[in-house]
Amino acid sequence: MRTIARGPLGLLVGIVLVVGGLLVPGAQAARKLRVVATIPDLKSLVEAVGGDLVEVESLTRGTQNFHEAEVRPSMMLKLRRADAVVENGLDLDAWADTAIEGSNNPEIIRGGRGRIEVSRGIEVLEVPSARVDRSMGDVHPRGNPHFSLDPGLAPAITQNFVDGLARVAPESRAAFEKNRAAFLAQLQQRMVEWTKTMEPLRGSKVVVFHPDFIYLLTRFGLVQAGTVEDRPGIPPAPQHLVTLIRQMKEEKIKVILVEPWNDIKLANRVAEEAGAKALVMATAVGAVKGADNYIAAIDYNITTLAKALQ
Amino acid sequence: MRGSIIPVVWLALAVLPALAEAQDTDALRREVEQLRRQQEQYQKTIEALNERLKRLEMLNTPTAQPPAPATPPAAAAPATGAPATAGSPAITAPAAAGSPPGAVAVAQTPGGATSAPSALELLSPRQPFSLYQQRGAGQLLFDMGLTGDFVGNLVQRNVQKAQAGTFSGQENRFFPREVELSLFGQIDPYARADVRIEAGEETAGAESGVNLAEATITLLALPYGTQAKIGQMRNRFGWSNPIHEHDLPWVDRPDVYRIFFGPEGLVEKGGEATWVPDFLPFYVEALGGVFNGDNETAFGYGRINNPLATGRVRAFFELTDTMGLQIGTSVASGETPDRLQSTLVGYDVKYKFRPEGWLHPLLTLSSEGIYSIRQVENSAGDKRTRDRFGAYGWAEVQPWRRWAMGTRYDWTQYPTNPGHQWAVEPYVTFMPSEFLRFRLAYKHTERSSREGFDLNGGSGRIMDEWFLQATFVLGAHPAHPF
Repeated sequence: MRTIARGPLGLLVGIVLVVGGLLVPGAQAARKLRVVATIPDLKSLVEAVGGDLVEVESLTRGTQNFHEAEVRPSMMLKLRRADAVVENGLDLDAWADTAIEGSNNPEIIRGGRGRIEVSRGIEVLEVPSARVDRSMGDVHPRGNPHFSLDPGLAPAITQNFVDGLARVAPESRAAFEKNRAAFLAQLQQRMVEWTKTMEPLRGSKVVVFHPDFIYLLTRFGLVQAGTVEDRPGIPPAPQHLVTLIRQMKEEKIKVILVEPWNDIKLANRVAEEAGAKALVMATAVGAVKGADNYIAAIDYNITTLAKALQ
Repeated sequence: MRGSIIPVVWLALAVLPALAEAQDTDALRREVEQLRRQQEQYQKTIEALNERLKRLEMLNTPTAQPPAPATPPAAAAPATGAPATAGSPAITAPAAAGSPPGAVAVAQTPGGATSAPSALELLSPRQPFSLYQQRGAGQLLFDMGLTGDFVGNLVQRNVQKAQAGTFSGQENRFFPREVELSLFGQIDPYARADVRIEAGEETAGAESGVNLAEATITLLALPYGTQAKIGQMRNRFGWSNPIHEHDLPWVDRPDVYRIFFGPEGLVEKGGEATWVPDFLPFYVEALGGVFNGDNETAFGYGRINNPLATGRVRAFFELTDTMGLQIGTSVASGETPDRLQSTLVGYDVKYKFRPEGWLHPLLTLSSEGIYSIRQVENSAGDKRTRDRFGAYGWAEVQPWRRWAMGTRYDWTQYPTNPGHQWAVEPYVTFMPSEFLRFRLAYKHTERSSREGFDLNGGSGRIMDEWFLQATFVLGAHPAHPF
């Protein structure tokens, strides 16, 4: 037995320890809190709150439809190493449960201290008040989950981050709060500019491809007059498009807001028929060129909307 | 003297009450003044507390609450014209900046230590932080879903006679193959449960029987990247065996699985544990399990004292943002009812290409194979080993969201009998929505001999089968990994 311990087994243990030590990511560097966000908007906001204390990765890219993200094992590896996971909630990223379960990380399972659900405390729009079922398309029984790009909700979202990150690292709470305050001050400045830009356009009507924009529109007083999709997630019937084009002409609606993964050709065709313009919006951080962080993404949307509606 | 005293006393009696009254008035005035000061103090305190409460409310609840939505509730009614609603443009001032440290009401959670937990701590139960918080009154504490899978098949009459079709005994029939009720959710902060009960027509014209398809407890809170599952489950042998019939990308399970494990694939009762290391640059999952070995086709001894042992290692390589490759190897080793050793070793490989921004993969390629090493005994009692192999290759393209098409090629030997068979199965899939799917497939199979496929004087040597599959999903359905 002693011989075995000194011989091949000892050698094997030694190799494992050496290789393991070399491969442990960041073993030599100062340990930052590893946070994984399900969508890039939340990644950008966690970076703002966490500052130098966190290292954030996103499971998806801005150009992806978050509803239908493919659960890859590479997601599970990121989650395996995570101290905390930030999820949007309201069924936008329901697939995250499968990825988290496959990560074998008990800190981030439901009920774990590293599980941060951002929708807590958010006043959700479009919560169905009547019975809903799948005949209405891809409905969200708990309300519209696309709240992350409403800058007015950033204080509530970032407060959830502060509380969640402080559960994992309570000694850094003051730093998280300081970062949050600095970020919100910066956002407040921009909010004044955006409000001024959008003020003359208050009440303008827009058409959206998929009901992703309700929080942004509501924030700046715009009206969602119709949707290209007859029912969310279901390709529109020709009769619906005919009615929509007629409505757009009658109400002189100038724009159709489109997500990067929507059927752009269809949106352009409808817009052309109605004498309007289809605009690909920054539905998330990284969705379009230039929308590299949270403030830049909102800025892109406001600038694009203002230019098209004037 | 007496006369002077009387007026003095009278005077004193007359003045003293007045003096006393004057003193009471002063005292009362002072008291009133004091009360007023106190009231002012209280007022100030109330105002300060109100101010603080307001700040806390603004921080802890959505501060700049969105006003009424600009459309009627979309789920309740399609979004059509709606009155303009004035939005509140201002975001909340960063109140936290002005708040003294600790002024923010934070849900401090028990056990929020930052230092690495000890082994004892890791073994101790963890406290829940967010469990059930999204649930409202009247909501269930678990999810449920229902899937229905119906299959129809057309085949030559002689194949029907021999009952040698892919769906043996169900040739030239339309039947409910699998109607499955799934109940799943977290039991408590440490474990989740998955239960699947299925009904389906197993033999022609018979009443649909109800079976327990799966029932498992998964222990989620184990330390060091481990997880354990116990119960009755579809074993993680290859990538396709754990997948239920209705979720397979084909109408039928690949021939190699049906021939080496039986029509249902490998479903066993026992337990398995997985380990996901966090120090490797790519994802690896290692699995070991111990099961009864009830599977009659491959094992069948069915006792835990001589168990079926399983193992699997899979690795995933994210080649680019749009391409992924998974490779794996599996093993299952147990005993037959005659106490003869049976070992199956498998490989699996799967590649997917999903262009940027696409909602579905454009191209999926995969192959799985099984090598069977099985002891057999002849009538003289001599034991010898039979090595058999089977595999399939599959390619699918999905150029449009609603349409996919592909082909699978199967080639497999029989585990104990001589001979082999091959098959090619092109198919087309139409998905009107995420929850409804139709599939049409044609399968051409050739067997090296009709021996064993010649019941009732029929023949299953060459088969041409047409399949039609209709599948629906109601309610919750967990996402499938890569």
